[in-house]
Amino acid sequence: MPFLARLVTALAIGAFMTTAAGYAADVSPTITVGTQEVGLTAGYMLSHQLTDGHTTRQHGVAFMPSWMMTITDSVGDGWYRGQISIGAEMVYIQFQEPYLTHGLGFTPKIKYTFVALNRIRPYAEFAGGPFWTDLAGKIPEASGELNFVLTAGAGVSYFMTERTAINVGYRFHHISNGGTSSPNLGLNASLPFVGFSFFF
Amino acid sequence: MSQGVSQLLIAGVFAMSIGLGTGCSHQIELTSLTNSALPASVVVPSDARMPVLLETIRVTHNGSSIAPPAILERQVLGAIEATRLFSQHYQSGYTQPPKDQARITMRLSIDNLVEPHAGQAAWHGFLIGASMFTLAPFLSLNYDYGAHMSLEIERWDGQTRQYTATSNGSAHYKLFGANPEVIEQLKGQVTEASLSSLLDQMIQDSTFYLASHEQSPGNSIRTVSIGIRHSSPRAIPISQPASDAPAR
Repeated sequence: MPFLARLVTALAIGAFMTTAAGYAADVSPTITVGTQEVGLTAGYMLSHQLTDGHTTRQHGVAFMPSWMMTITDSVGDGWYRGQISIGAEMVYIQFQEPYLTHGLGFTPKIKYTFVALNRIRPYAEFAGGPFWTDLAGKIPEASGELNFVLTAGAGVSYFMTERTAINVGYRFHHISNGGTSSPNLGLNASLPFVGFSFFF
Repeated sequence: MSQGVSQLLIAGVFAMSIGLGTGCSHQIELTSLTNSALPASVVVPSDARMPVLLETIRVTHNGSSIAPPAILERQVLGAIEATRLFSQHYQSGYTQPPKDQARITMRLSIDNLVEPHAGQAAWHGFLIGASMFTLAPFLSLNYDYGAHMSLEIERWDGQTRQYTATSNGSAHYKLFGANPEVIEQLKGQVTEASLSSLLDQMIQDSTFYLASHEQSPGNSIRTVSIGIRHSSPRAIPISQPASDAPAR
């Protein structure tokens, strides 16, 4: 936890400083077809035991560098007007409980960003892909090291400048092996996160 | 065994090169141009030319009025100036011609139609993501853009002429070839095609815009050749920042 506290504090201070600078200018982000986004997101995984069979309380920090490409102009009208982007994300999780273990995954990702509020842009995202972890095999919910991760979540981007944004949000994480080995109860978790993005 | 691995590696590198090459490709095509007149070139007496005032440029985007981008105004005025059909060029909001001076007044209206194929892009994006990007070289994303221009020209004596031109274009690109510049180039080329067509029609009508000219006995007439100066094939992106625009 001290590591997480340091990380969150650093991100919060950085965000505050850059936000203050951002207020000075009238920010109107222009994200068009072909605009790319690179970002880094960090969060802390908090487990959920959805059934009686789930006993493991896996916790740990997660880092998710990502790349996205905007593939549509604004679609829709009114409050739901938004843009679609697709891309990919690396997921690294350091499980600190119940054992110090690691997980690494690659997930293609699709995101819908609501653009009606100009510099404040809520979004919904969905990602899924292969995930390797050495936690599996040491807990009753998962066996083989090759797994799959599925995430769905929502967040808000706040554009500090026309090209940079800070992001805050929540994801639901599901890790399982897709029935490739037994047992396969899967691991479920909440993942609140903060991060930043750069658009070019 | 090692030969098999080498062959597999070579095939892998080859496939990856093909995939990246096609996955980054893009193509722009102008699909149609209505009212396209043949490029006109006429010789007119230079002192019969009149000043022109570009009074209004009205722009709509899928039916909604928008403020005309400054670079579009400059592109239009520059294209008119390049024809050499008029003696002086004025634009509303800038230096105006004297009130008592006879002049030609232009009013241009541009209706842009944009079809970004958002549904198709979303579906293809989903398929590309679900295939771990292996389908990226094979699934195209499309963007259509059309411009309908209507130019009304009023002579100093109140007579008017109207010209119209429509052009459409499409950009086809793969995911890794998507780039804001591709779309801007498409818009620039479509706008350029419509504008050229309008000005060609106007030049074919050039005598309408000239003051009556009588040759004084013994004096030779100074003439000027008017016509469209077609720009380079690489069109100017119409929403490019002013500082980036090439000098005319």
